[in-house]
Amino acid sequence: MKQVHIKTIIGTALLALFLVACSDILDEQPRSILEPGFFKTEQGVNGGLTSLYAHLRYIYGNAYYYNSGVTGTDEATYAQSADANFKVMDVSGQGNITSSATGGTNTLWDNAFPAINTASGIIENATEVGLTASLIAEARFFRAFEYFQLVQTYGGVPLDMGAGELKFNTSPVRISVRNTVPEVYTKAIFPDLLTAVNDLPDVGRLTGTVTKTVARLFLSKAYLTYAWWLENPNSIPTYPDCARTDPDGHNAQWYFQQAYDVATTAIDNPGTYGLMPTFYELHVGGNERNKEMLLYADHTQTSEKYNGASLTYGSGGGADNFAAWMMTWNYTEIRSAKNADGTGSSSSVLREACQDLGRPWTRMAPTIDAIVNTFANKTDDSRYDGTFTVVYRGNWPKGGDQTAFYYGANGLPVYPGDPILTFLPDEPATPITYPAGAGPSNVGGGILPGRADYVISPSGISRVTYPGTWKMSTYRTDNAGGLGQPNASICRPFNIAKFSEFYFIAAEAAVKGATTTAGKSAKDLINIIRARAGMWKFDRAQNAAKVEDHSTALIAATPATIDIDYILVERSREYYGEGFRWFDLVRTQKWDEVAATYRIASSVKGDHNAQTITRTIQHYHYLRPIPQGQLDGMEMTADEKAAFQNPGY
Amino acid sequence: MKIKLDSYFSRKKCKILLIMKISAILMVTFTLNISAIGFGQFSFKAEGKTIRDVFDIIEQESNYRFFYNEQFESDNNIVDLEMKNKDINQVLDRILASTDYTYKVFENNLIVISLKDNIREFSDLQQNIVRGTVTDENGNPIPGATIAVKGTTIGTTTDLNGNYVIENVTPQSILVVSFIGYKSQEIVVGDRAQVNVSLQEEITALDEVVVIGYGTQRREAVTGSVASIGGDALRNIPSTNFTQSMQGRLPGVELSQTSTRPGSTLQIRIRGTRSLTASNDPLVVLDGIPFVGSINEINNNDIKSIDILKDASATAIYGSRGANGVVLITTNRGQKGQKARITYNGRQSVNKIFAKYPMMDGPEFVAIRAASGRYTNGPDEFDNVNTDWQDLFFRNGNEISHDVGLSGGTTNGSYNFGIGYLQDQGVIPTNKFTRYSIRSAIDQEVGKYFLFGFNSNSNYNMNEGNQIGLYGVLSMSPISDPYNADGTLKRSIRMPLDDQFTFTRSVVEDLKDEWLSQTRGYSTYNSLYGEVKIPGIQGLKYRATLGLDFMQENNGSYTAEGVGSNNPTTISTASNNNSHSYHWNIQNLINYDRVFAGKHRVNAVALYEAEQYTYFSSGTSAKGIPSAAFQYYSLGQSVGEITTSIPSFPSGGYTQSGLISYMGRVMYEYSNRYMMTVTVRADASSRLAKGHQWHTYPAVSVGWNIKNESFMQNIAVIDRLKIRAGYGQTSNQAVGTYSTLGRLSSRDYNFGNATYATGYYVTQLPNESLGWEYSETWNYGLDFAVLNNRLSGTIEYYVTNTKDILLSFGLPRTSGVSSYTANVGETQNKGFEILLNGTILDNVNGWTWEAGINLYMNKNKLVSLASGQTRDEGNGWFVGHNINAIYDYEQIGLWQESDPYLSILEPGGNVGMIKVKYTGDFDADGTPTRQIGPDDRQIIDVDPDFQGGFNTRVSYKGFDLSLIGSFQIGGVLVSTLNGPSSYLNLMTGRRGQIKVDYWTPENTGAKYPAPSGVLSADNPKYLSTMAYFDGSYLKMRNISLGYNLNQSLIKIPDVRLRVFFIVQNPFVMFSEFNKEMKMDPETNSYGNQNVATGGYNSRILTVGFNSPSTRNYVIGVNLSF
Repeated sequence: MKQVHIKTIIGTALLALFLVACSDILDEQPRSILEPGFFKTEQGVNGGLTSLYAHLRYIYGNAYYYNSGVTGTDEATYAQSADANFKVMDVSGQGNITSSATGGTNTLWDNAFPAINTASGIIENATEVGLTASLIAEARFFRAFEYFQLVQTYGGVPLDMGAGELKFNTSPVRISVRNTVPEVYTKAIFPDLLTAVNDLPDVGRLTGTVTKTVARLFLSKAYLTYAWWLENPNSIPTYPDCARTDPDGHNAQWYFQQAYDVATTAIDNPGTYGLMPTFYELHVGGNERNKEMLLYADHTQTSEKYNGASLTYGSGGGADNFAAWMMTWNYTEIRSAKNADGTGSSSSVLREACQDLGRPWTRMAPTIDAIVNTFANKTDDSRYDGTFTVVYRGNWPKGGDQTAFYYGANGLPVYPGDPILTFLPDEPATPITYPAGAGPSNVGGGILPGRADYVISPSGISRVTYPGTWKMSTYRTDNAGGLGQPNASICRPFNIAKFSEFYFIAAEAAVKGATTTAGKSAKDLINIIRARAGMWKFDRAQNAAKVEDHSTALIAATPATIDIDYILVERSREYYGEGFRWFDLVRTQKWDEVAATYRIASSVKGDHNAQTITRTIQHYHYLRPIPQGQLDGMEMTADEKAAFQNPGY
Repeated sequence: MKIKLDSYFSRKKCKILLIMKISAILMVTFTLNISAIGFGQFSFKAEGKTIRDVFDIIEQESNYRFFYNEQFESDNNIVDLEMKNKDINQVLDRILASTDYTYKVFENNLIVISLKDNIREFSDLQQNIVRGTVTDENGNPIPGATIAVKGTTIGTTTDLNGNYVIENVTPQSILVVSFIGYKSQEIVVGDRAQVNVSLQEEITALDEVVVIGYGTQRREAVTGSVASIGGDALRNIPSTNFTQSMQGRLPGVELSQTSTRPGSTLQIRIRGTRSLTASNDPLVVLDGIPFVGSINEINNNDIKSIDILKDASATAIYGSRGANGVVLITTNRGQKGQKARITYNGRQSVNKIFAKYPMMDGPEFVAIRAASGRYTNGPDEFDNVNTDWQDLFFRNGNEISHDVGLSGGTTNGSYNFGIGYLQDQGVIPTNKFTRYSIRSAIDQEVGKYFLFGFNSNSNYNMNEGNQIGLYGVLSMSPISDPYNADGTLKRSIRMPLDDQFTFTRSVVEDLKDEWLSQTRGYSTYNSLYGEVKIPGIQGLKYRATLGLDFMQENNGSYTAEGVGSNNPTTISTASNNNSHSYHWNIQNLINYDRVFAGKHRVNAVALYEAEQYTYFSSGTSAKGIPSAAFQYYSLGQSVGEITTSIPSFPSGGYTQSGLISYMGRVMYEYSNRYMMTVTVRADASSRLAKGHQWHTYPAVSVGWNIKNESFMQNIAVIDRLKIRAGYGQTSNQAVGTYSTLGRLSSRDYNFGNATYATGYYVTQLPNESLGWEYSETWNYGLDFAVLNNRLSGTIEYYVTNTKDILLSFGLPRTSGVSSYTANVGETQNKGFEILLNGTILDNVNGWTWEAGINLYMNKNKLVSLASGQTRDEGNGWFVGHNINAIYDYEQIGLWQESDPYLSILEPGGNVGMIKVKYTGDFDADGTPTRQIGPDDRQIIDVDPDFQGGFNTRVSYKGFDLSLIGSFQIGGVLVSTLNGPSSYLNLMTGRRGQIKVDYWTPENTGAKYPAPSGVLSADNPKYLSTMAYFDGSYLKMRNISLGYNLNQSLIKIPDVRLRVFFIVQNPFVMFSEFNKEMKMDPETNSYGNQNVATGGYNSRILTVGFNSPSTRNYVIGVNLSF
């Protein structure tokens, strides 16, 4: 009995241990996530700024967004492997651009607003955490930059994201009201950029961060664009509907003048920026982040984590820079023969991670008109050579094929590094003998007597075989003599703005009537660009050094009177295929005129009969559709949603 | 003659009142308890008593048992006698002196009373003795079982160890062995001297006990909705975990395959889905402790039973975790007084692919490439080559399982130990799941008042080869040859656009040390309890339980230079990720269980419970592993970038959550006719913001056992009839940890080549007022048994309304934030369930045939979204439709030459492209007014109309054949293979292509569009509409043939041996998908898995290019001794 008693006591004591109450188990302490409160610390604000730069990658370098700025202009059309994204953008009866068939026009909308909100958050919290004015100015720059891109693309966009105009929103708002274009410019873009110009440093805080000069570029461009909008020479409608009057009481002329003044101020005060000596050096791999580059979405080969994209295989999305793949045709289909009689075909131009080649997606192709007209002068002007890959050279040893030589056209041997296929600069005197179908080159390449390389002349460019893009293409330093990683997304920065554009902006403003200063007439400014274009360092077509100065010839060819059409063509020569052509044509209201027709041969290999395709660019196309995701996400009536959408979509 | 097998944990025997009346032949009683009277000496005085009364007294006072026939029982001889200190022979001689009866005392204190003639007769045959042991299915001895010789009055009962001796048996005699709660068996003696008998439990509603959470309840008294399956029934379908074995066997419990990889578990949905963004998984409770591990860590062989609480009146005791149902798993324990026993279960199977992916062969591929006109052959492609890459890749899978158990008991305690080994080798080379498990359970009484116990389940498991996907195999061009002319293997295959690493079995196997992914997990789940009976208050007990769990997992992966890549210099990568979880749970339970006045049974429980779960993980990945031998073991020495988190392991880090609860439950029963259960639970959770943490969940349910009413006693055809109804509220722990706080997301960035930084931006807004979703369920049930219990069943109807659904809004981009979570929506699940079991032949000439079927329907719909909104197209939610709805175009055929308006409806389109339904306006002349666009998308409900399963078992003389199958009627099967996201139906001839019947000018009646037509991304436009199939199917899951070896063949007593052969997944019928693709129509992926791009919301289960389903041939043996 006694024993039982002791056991009872011990047992009860043991069990009582289990009754311990633990009220602190109801407390939460996150240790691996950040809550929005972090945004009110200095580190948080700095992190916010970094995210503003990081978000650029989701727009600039994204191939679909890139497509929306190029396909459908005079620069490019869709290519053989194009899907609907590229076809609708061509506006040539291959399907219409809609809120869901956006062709990449949704990318900006989807990424800009979160960045604007982050910028507003930084601006609001900055004082509290004692942020310097120059850092706040970076946020202001980005908010203005996003609004400027939005207003050009969609027309008026909301300034109030839920917490009031230009306020940091932290509430779940499911309705939205669009402001008008003048409101966006005068309430958001101009004030922010003016502050940014004032407060930003001359030299960037870090590599690639924004400066006074960067802010000036976008301020001058915004003035220029708004001036065009106020003038509205071709009566393109705007949306939401509003009068073409400036709330600040200025007229178009005043803004053209502002554009000129700001641009020329920047030219006069370049800081660390300036023009590169040659167009080639501006774009050749290894020369990234040079003094001409004002703003870019950075990428690196040195860190996959911070590159934000795979260094070995990119699937084409997220933060990938894969824009240049679009206008790269499938050169890997080129074949050479093992035997002199043309039998035994072998792949001789392999997929390589180099600037000439890269990963082929065959989604977009240059129009024949761009090759023939825009780049009419291919001998003096280095920009054709610095824009396109026109010679496809044998690189089979890099793929482990030790064959000493193959046989190319006319049964002639071709060695590694030799041209296998060449896009001729002009129509040759002797007609090219094209095969019926793909022919021995397997890509429809023709033959000229005595040449070992297959050839295609400008008039024979098709949707399946066309000069590739070079400027922004892949460049790696880790190929180790092999083919490298051509399938990785491109780990070079994607350029958004260059110093050279100040000359174009000022020249365009001058053409539109801005009072010029001495030595900075429209022609003066354009000639600076053209003079540089005449400077050669390397001839890519010949694959040899060519240190020559052809600037005199180019300046001599500049017309006495510069008009807007000339500026647009010159812009295309300078910035061909960089993704901004649509903006230039929309700003100047010349899109439907400049891009109304184009020539190209079909998608069938061996077809070199160029057809003229007519586009049906209508006025409503000057604004892109509001993406379906925005409409789906809003809690508004169908009528309200319809009113939110741009007319025509 | 009363025996109390006092083992609180035995759920079958505690209720057996051992007064047995065996048919009409004889009556046997016995006792285990030796009386206080000196052994073998009797003193008593009997006046005017019948002989049987005297026998009764003797039986009460001693361990002698009497055995007599009906005739003796009715003779009613009266005796008057007084005896002092006489032994049994003296007593019986006196009593029987004046009758025609005589007696014989056997060695086991059995006294057989017989007519004098008979005694003479069998004394002549005395040498003919048969001995044996009677055991239950698990080999545990059954004391007190009756052994009678058919057609005679001869009989005996087993002793404490289940042994019996029966004399006077001829070879022709048939022994009838019976025991309450078990099925009787008849056995011809033959020339055997030893007849061991294993009795099978007869489950009837009268004696079945179910686990209901924090206790047990007689099935008969249950008022909620509880579905149960025993461990043996579960093991009839061999598998790596119980989810596979349970598929299609319980109504209202939908088990869906989400992966076909070895070791994968099925998704459990109890009565449908109710939550839009939160988990719909039920709470799993292992031996009373909420289970925080993975289901594949539980060894099937350790499971004694699974009880599933389906309705809220049953699950309300789990409060904030009860809304999705509760799966209670009870593992095996020893039994008090049980002889030590060893069991062995082993099996081995060969798993062959059910059907290969239907890829085009060489000539078919050449034809579609030509029809598309987009590509010419790549350097490694030749029109005359025809390679079946799947044949070069897959291997036969196999599964091996061995389990050894030891269990036994002493007078005051019991134990159970087991070890298990399981290896499931998949059909994908190197893909394998291995598990070693060990468990132990001990229960020990200490003194009169205390009971202590310990239970431990631990396992070590390893998952390998899951990095090997199938896309590289299936997308390979069939007109490419993996071998060079000299017989060496090509490193990669060059197709028109793609240069793909050569994927064959030998490549993968040769690279097993250079291309690996290994996940090793070690977990241990433990519970300790102490129980004290409160002295002085009958029926009152206090029990404390402590659960302590620890889980550890490590994943290491390594890909050597160039492996898997067409580029031989692709840098090597390796990663190593670790996670640890800690979980503790404390329960303090007071239980009061008592019957008042013989009619009022009260069981009351009060509970205080607290628990906390902590998870911590970290990961490192590196590039440029200096030596292949390092694999992932020495990341710090890598020459390339080393990072502390990798994309596949993004958040890493830490979560901790806690729960404090009070619960009270009263079960009241009156006269076994009226029953009521009332439950209240209050939970507080750390996941909610302060001030919103506590919630209370009430539930009540009632039952009426109509059969036990006096007016029903004369209706012989009905054996059981009960109706019940219940109501309850429960929640779903839908709020993720820290989600009331909002969240920042990060983005890395480089400023030049040397300056790196991480950016932050708001992606989730804080919401302090977040609360639980809660479900209100009404449940109505009817249980019945008719025709001598030959047909029994349960019918249930329920309505569950889930309110305050947590919804993560896809906010419009103009709000600046992508999502926001709040309690706004409402969903409803309504359904009925039918479960029928019948015995068609009940031992007719040795044949027994049983069959069961279950059928259930769940109507799921979204009742409301935020503030009057009826559709959320961004998320695919539509009021009035399934939660799992899909929003897409509706395919109505292909565009044909004669169809009008192609240029209006499909600008840029072509004849032969997919034609989808147009829902817009028409002009007066019938011309459509616009092109087809997003407004033409339709809402597609994917849930099936009915689901269910069936089983049947035929047995004859030790042989048994059983079939188990399941079916689904209606619903939509989503096959990502046929749609755009697999990239296997590009139809352009770019790479490997599934076999489809496509449109050409000569074949206009085809199902699939013209390969040369308009594309959307890389696929034919509207190809997503080809992904939907009628979801109906009937699938035979398991055909098993077993044989219980005749024990005389093995001359070892107590040995039970069963051998079986099983075919799993033998065939599928009535499936549209199966007809077209020849494949298993069961889902094998979450919507966003096993696709090359895009896909669906993960909640939509799909058939994708996961490891193919297998047809398994299993042989196995169960042995116990």
